[in-house]
Amino acid sequence: MALKAYDKIKHAVRWWLLRRLPTCKQTVKVISESMERKLSLRERITVKLHLWICLWCVWYLEHLNLMRDTIRAKASEEVNLESSSLPPLSAEARERMKLRLSQPND
Amino acid sequence: MSEPQRTPKSQPPDFSSWVDLHGDYLYKYAIFRLRDGSAAEDCVQETFLAALKAYRGFEGRGSERTWLVGILKHKVTDHFRRVTREAPIGETEGDEFEHNEFFTRTDEWNNHWNNNYAPSDWHATPAELIERSDFWKVLNDCLSPLPERTARAFTLREVDSLTSEQICEALNITVNNLWVMLHRARLHLRNCLEINWFTKETTD
Repeated sequence: MALKAYDKIKHAVRWWLLRRLPTCKQTVKVISESMERKLSLRERITVKLHLWICLWCVWYLEHLNLMRDTIRAKASEEVNLESSSLPPLSAEARERMKLRLSQPND
Repeated sequence: MSEPQRTPKSQPPDFSSWVDLHGDYLYKYAIFRLRDGSAAEDCVQETFLAALKAYRGFEGRGSERTWLVGILKHKVTDHFRRVTREAPIGETEGDEFEHNEFFTRTDEWNNHWNNNYAPSDWHATPAELIERSDFWKVLNDCLSPLPERTARAFTLREVDSLTSEQICEALNITVNNLWVMLHRARLHLRNCLEINWFTKETTD
């Protein structure tokens, strides 16, 4: 019984907070900017509170960090770029460049 | 039959061999950043020609590829500077990537995540994502619908790890422009990656 009342209060507090805090739409923008600049104290508090209530935005932040870490790790591996599925240099361009390099004085 | 140990100074190396040794790598490097085949080809060719002229100064110090990539980096930046100078930024560039539909709801929670677009748990670590062989291709496909400058800002920031100041200088934009662009790129990419990587198996 006590547990049920506690859950109800928790739910009410979250609902009340979410109605007053910046929306998800506003929060994801600040989350993105947190990767670019130091947030103000007010921003940090409202984002923290929002994340306490909203799991979707928690995942959003997690995914942005995951994207950054993965891309940067991947970019530092030369070999992977070469074996990647990006297109290679076309045969025509290859020939043209070879020609230019073998006759440098043109 | 073995190759000579050292190329005599009077006899320069066969420069056209660079095309086979480094051509594909440089091209992939450039096309990922420029997303335009002919511009990427131009940059690679300019890199080779500039390297040809500067070879005497290089003289085999360090890796030839690293040296060539260093030159290419400048060529790619120059290309972007040229393009952006010709097309100054419009006020509404990329507004369609605000993705308002992600946050449109008909209930009392409008401006919060719409259930159809809300993030889900990826259960993934960078190590697992790095393993994916289609990594660059998917990233490239997801970036390609974005306005050129927005995609470019994202690549400079996340792939090349440049600072805000360097990017604003290269793209001729203000720091507020940059933050808006990065936000839109991230919003779009996250959704695109989720569709391509994490929901394919479950939607069947």
